[in-house]
Amino acid sequence: MIINVENLHKWFGMLHVLRGIDLTVEPQEVVVIIGRSGSGKSTLLRCLNFLEEPSAGTITIDGQTVSVGLRMRTSLHTRAGRQQILALRLKTGMVFQEFNLFPHMTALENVVEGLVTVKKIPKEQAITIGEQCLAKVGLSDKRDEHPIRLSGGQKQRVAIARVLAMEPKVMMFDEPTSALDPELIGEVLEVMLQLAQEGATMLVVTHEMGFAREVADRIIYIDEGQIVEAGPPQQILSNPEDKRTAAFLRTFTRFERGTS
Amino acid sequence: MSVDTVRQPGATTADPDLSMGLELLAAQNRARLIQSAKVGAVWVALVALMAATLLQLRIDLPYIAGHFDYVVQGVLTTLWISLVSISIATVLALFGALGRLSANSVAQGVSGLYVSVIRGTPLLVQIWLIHLGLPQIGIELIGLGFPRLGELFILRAIQSGILALSLNYGAYMTEVFRAGIQSIVHGQWEAARSLGMTYGQMLRRVVLPQALHVIIPDIGNNYIFMLKDSALVSVIGVLEITCRASRLARRDSKPMEMLLVAAAVYWILTIISSWLQSRLENRMARAYRH
Repeated sequence: MIINVENLHKWFGMLHVLRGIDLTVEPQEVVVIIGRSGSGKSTLLRCLNFLEEPSAGTITIDGQTVSVGLRMRTSLHTRAGRQQILALRLKTGMVFQEFNLFPHMTALENVVEGLVTVKKIPKEQAITIGEQCLAKVGLSDKRDEHPIRLSGGQKQRVAIARVLAMEPKVMMFDEPTSALDPELIGEVLEVMLQLAQEGATMLVVTHEMGFAREVADRIIYIDEGQIVEAGPPQQILSNPEDKRTAAFLRTFTRFERGTS
Repeated sequence: MSVDTVRQPGATTADPDLSMGLELLAAQNRARLIQSAKVGAVWVALVALMAATLLQLRIDLPYIAGHFDYVVQGVLTTLWISLVSISIATVLALFGALGRLSANSVAQGVSGLYVSVIRGTPLLVQIWLIHLGLPQIGIELIGLGFPRLGELFILRAIQSGILALSLNYGAYMTEVFRAGIQSIVHGQWEAARSLGMTYGQMLRRVVLPQALHVIIPDIGNNYIFMLKDSALVSVIGVLEITCRASRLARRDSKPMEMLLVAAAVYWILTIISSWLQSRLENRMARAYRH
């Protein structure tokens, strides 16, 4: 396995958002996480690379383990703790709902930034890698454009290229198409499908049930900070065992009945 | 994969009614021009009125003409003091803001106290404290057998002035930097963090380059304020515009004449600086799009 999460808890003030998540992910597996808003699915992703600091639990990604607990918390703020978190982050890459491209850099500069600043790769070599990654998401012709001149779909593809360039062991997508106009969603999902087919390990939070059915190896339904149900797409989407999963999925199919 | 394009303004197909749009635009520009001309006329009228009034009060024009250049010689001093001080203040403000935003309690405490003390006391008192108060410490230190260290506390007037203005503006501009850094949306930090950047890398590569677009125009603003606040260092005898004007005013009992000259010189400097400032702002606004 490439990811192992044990008993992960997250509190926001008095709000218990993650209530003991256990999760393992195999290499090359595509896991889609679904659930209603506020269920904790985004928080789960964000805890894995410590964009949010978990309150308790153990996270292992590709052999790099970080443990957090009530009495261990301070250790994360020591030099050694910060190094561990940085190492964990380098194992992961994150694609955000709002793209979060750096607006003062061109598409290529966005993609190259992490290579040069974090990985200290020489500039020319980094540019070669960056160009390859932009080509992969079909945006070679936009290499010198600033994000302000790109459409939402193009921005998100640059954001994916930025993650690809860092060669993370795990790619995490936090609602990558939720901020996009409907006609731009396809091009982003297309790129994600391609990555999945090439064997990337992916954790995807999304409401795109069509994508989940097609691409996911496993779907996880999260409710109130707990994994309620997990299994292959056919099972979860067509025959959910849990009442809550079924109720959640009905909200998606309500308007599709007439057409199918 | 479909490649979508962003619609470019002005790249639409030929519009048969294009001339209507052009005409409307020309009318708008004309109206704007007429308005500025009117406002300009009001300015000229008001200044003429003031000048006429002053002449009625027997302002000594030949005296002004004869001593004008003595005051103008202070312009370079004023510009120099302001320029050096704003530069030092900018550095102080950057560190002040980083301190205030830091998780480190020492950095937070030091910068918080600095801003609180400086903003809580008058600039005039700060100038006197540095020029008249510090030498007291210096002499004490020399007496205790630290002559080298003691001498550092005894400053020439211009050094005291620059130090006071730098410290003072550094504290106010700390808030400018802080606001600039905080204006960067959280997602930028998160994207940088998820790439594995350290705090310093995030600041240097992602946050500050963007924050500077907000901050640099504000530094220009503060420079314009400082041009005028630098008049306060005349009290410790720095021979800048105000000091020169007030010396002559006292010697020859011509306060109205000389202070008017000083005021006019500051005004002209401010107008020039504001013009440069607005050009800079325009250029900053154009960034990210060519």
